[in-house]
Amino acid sequence: MTILKYGEFAVQKARQLGADEAEAFLTQGQEISVKAEANELKLATTHVRDGVGIRVFSDRALGFASVNAFDEQKIEEAVRAAVSLSKASLKDEHNLLPEPQHIKDVGGLYDQQAERFQVDAAISMAGELLSTARGYDPRVMVDSASFNATIETRAIVNSRGIKAEERANLFSYFIMGMARDGEEVSSFNYRFDATRKAGEIAVKEKAREFAEGVVASLGASKGESFVGTVILSPNAVLELVIEPLTFAIDANRVQKGMSGWAGMLDKQVASPLLAIEDDGRLEGGTGSASFDREGLPHTHLKLVEDGILRAYLHNSYTAAKEGRRSSGHASGGARSVPAIGPTNLLVRPGHKSKEELIDGVKRGILVTRFSGFPEPVSGEFSGVVKGGFLIENGRLTRPLIETLVSGNLFEMLPRVSGLSRETERLGAVVAPYMMVEDMAITGG
Amino acid sequence: MLEFLEELLGEFTGSDYGELRYHERKGLNIAVRQGELEAANSTVYSGVGVRAFCQGGWGFSSTSRLDRESLKAAIRDAVSGARAASKKADTRLGQARLARGTFSPEIGDPLSAHPFEEKLAVVRRTEAKAGSFHFISSTACAYRENLDHKYILTTDGARAEVMDSKPEFRVLAVATADGRSVEASESLGVTGGWDDLFKRQPDELAEIAAKRAGDLLKASHPGGERALVILDPALVGLLAHEAIGHTVEADFVLSGAITEGKLGQRVASELVTLVDSGPSQYGKHAGGTVLVDDEGVIAERTVVIEQGILKSYLHSRETAGMFGVNATGNARAFEYSDEPLIRMRNTYIEPGDKTLEEMVSEVQHGYLLKGARGGQADANAEFMFSVQEAYRIKDGKIGELLRGVAVSGQAFEVLQSVDAVGKEFRFDIGAGYCGKGQPAKVDGGGPYLRCKAIIGGRTR
Repeated sequence: MTILKYGEFAVQKARQLGADEAEAFLTQGQEISVKAEANELKLATTHVRDGVGIRVFSDRALGFASVNAFDEQKIEEAVRAAVSLSKASLKDEHNLLPEPQHIKDVGGLYDQQAERFQVDAAISMAGELLSTARGYDPRVMVDSASFNATIETRAIVNSRGIKAEERANLFSYFIMGMARDGEEVSSFNYRFDATRKAGEIAVKEKAREFAEGVVASLGASKGESFVGTVILSPNAVLELVIEPLTFAIDANRVQKGMSGWAGMLDKQVASPLLAIEDDGRLEGGTGSASFDREGLPHTHLKLVEDGILRAYLHNSYTAAKEGRRSSGHASGGARSVPAIGPTNLLVRPGHKSKEELIDGVKRGILVTRFSGFPEPVSGEFSGVVKGGFLIENGRLTRPLIETLVSGNLFEMLPRVSGLSRETERLGAVVAPYMMVEDMAITGG
Repeated sequence: MLEFLEELLGEFTGSDYGELRYHERKGLNIAVRQGELEAANSTVYSGVGVRAFCQGGWGFSSTSRLDRESLKAAIRDAVSGARAASKKADTRLGQARLARGTFSPEIGDPLSAHPFEEKLAVVRRTEAKAGSFHFISSTACAYRENLDHKYILTTDGARAEVMDSKPEFRVLAVATADGRSVEASESLGVTGGWDDLFKRQPDELAEIAAKRAGDLLKASHPGGERALVILDPALVGLLAHEAIGHTVEADFVLSGAITEGKLGQRVASELVTLVDSGPSQYGKHAGGTVLVDDEGVIAERTVVIEQGILKSYLHSRETAGMFGVNATGNARAFEYSDEPLIRMRNTYIEPGDKTLEEMVSEVQHGYLLKGARGGQADANAEFMFSVQEAYRIKDGKIGELLRGVAVSGQAFEVLQSVDAVGKEFRFDIGAGYCGKGQPAKVDGGGPYLRCKAIIGGRTR
């Protein structure tokens, strides 16, 4: 049964109550999830989730309300709340809803097998995560692991004629823990993955990678202070580079002077080796959808080409300010107003293997995970290396603890000196290993 | 609603324990950035979380549909989930003081007495104030509130109606010069009402954030080293929560955390007493205040470390049963569709007897670190905090401001190294959330604390 009718009801009600424009975004989901804790299966859950988010503009002033029920009375209360907020809020000439555009199916977002996936199947997947990791080495301790299967329908209706609905499913899984050898406890490590296709679920592979990682980090000793080469794993690229960059390429941050890449369009922002794309139309991609949070089609954008910044991510609001079309990057769910976010972010691979990158390092470190909070505005970061290894004369010599790397993301990107040809899929991000020169490393 | 849920408790046949938790959350979120309104969101999110326990296995389900048939179906799902996850073991839940009656934190001036227009006006005025300084290039301000109403019932006797009111406020300022930017923020978060939140004036917060951003712009980077540091109450709160607190969550202890088997042992300097408390201590409105947890257990004041000796872990009913102790009231769920997990509440180090001036005057070479930007900690208690302000201390005097500073170390080694504890006490991380698969509103604090840690800096 379609959920669009609740959206149509909400939009019509908002117009009756005096809103000039109205939009309803709806989600209906079911989720099966199994969690393991402390090396044992622990919990099986099932959820049914409904959500309606109503955005209205009255005299170009914003009001928003959401409710988690497909119930006309509750929806009407939410519509009243949104309209009443809009009458008391701030006028902004760029508050306009988008006009309909042709929406073409992305494909590969829904696997029929998801419907047959029940609690028992999820229990056996979570069990495999555990047994593979524990079976790799008795010192492996699984703090938590989970397997989730969700089916979600998203729908959108607005008063300018946008009307769209799409069903998608996702299998996602996660394993986290450490190795313990007597009194010694290693750093945490984790692996996660997500796919829409039942046939692509790879719990054993991820559990083994996790186990290898934590066991290898046992016996770590304190690092030294020096300036040297850092090789970031795909996971560390995600934490140290991609997350702050999603802030820097958000057109809203750019327009409001909070992006380190404001004013840098068509300028060299990184090493010529670096290319980053955002592709919301990738078939079967975990960040893909046929339409964005405002009902506009996603696009395929080249963000960085040969180290040159080529585009920012826009929604209708930021696009209206510049008199351009949205790039289809409105993001978010039914509980808040549309934001801006990436879809599938792809960092293009290089030509060397990971081993060849390590071979070329005289003195440096390999960073498996980075624990820190890069300041998104300034790009400053200082954080702890997790699962790190010292590299000396092209060889990994020992695991490290209590070692920090510090620097500035925007100053670091031009010093990228290599990218591996191997890439790793980390949810909706695909990234290679990244080698960077002249990094400040502090040892305890 | 209570009677209706009470009747439904009879549906938990085939399980050892059942729990029904109705949770309605009314939220308001207002965000202004550069004079533009980015959010004016009102949300109502309600439903019932159902949990069943059967021979060591748990089943959980949730539904936003509140009719009898939907709830019966949710209970069936939870019971069959528990049976599927069961270990066929004779596991008992721990003893607990189960709550009966109505529980509400002290609220001076209810948030509902203040209309949206007034809240929006405060956010706009504060954002404009932060932007009134010539060196400030960008500003943002946000207000958020969550009003909760719960009924928590268990098959073994809890019957509680629980109210809560948790507002937050934050202001951010970015200073820019010569193509370089730096941000600073100030935030508040309490359990209580409007006046309880604004014990400090919004204008003052805006001015502090803006001036700090301006000062940081001129600041230089430190060189990295292990050194004597004085942590302010916000960083002490973060240390207590992030670096120590997580390692004493009993689920985590069972996974092999570093505190496993260390009860009764010395883990810190005898100057250190560390507490995680449901009720607010040292004043009324700490942001992580919990009166009854989401298993219907009365939340208590739990002494984790007493004069350096590890005394207790933090428990749910399940882990209390495993360890043969009483539940401490730490099982918390963020929303109705989240299952209760062991979470902290207000976590702090008790004050000592020194003034900050005395503590600084005794330091030949070190740093005074103030304000948390974020923190993470590891299974081995290695932690990393990003610091808002760092001042060099030389020959007993506070010197220049430094930027981009992170502090790190192994938390228990750091606590062993504590050689002075201040007497001023403050909760200061109440605007933040702790993440563990689901968010939780927590607070932390303490006095100024002097210890040894690693300062991450630029050695170039």
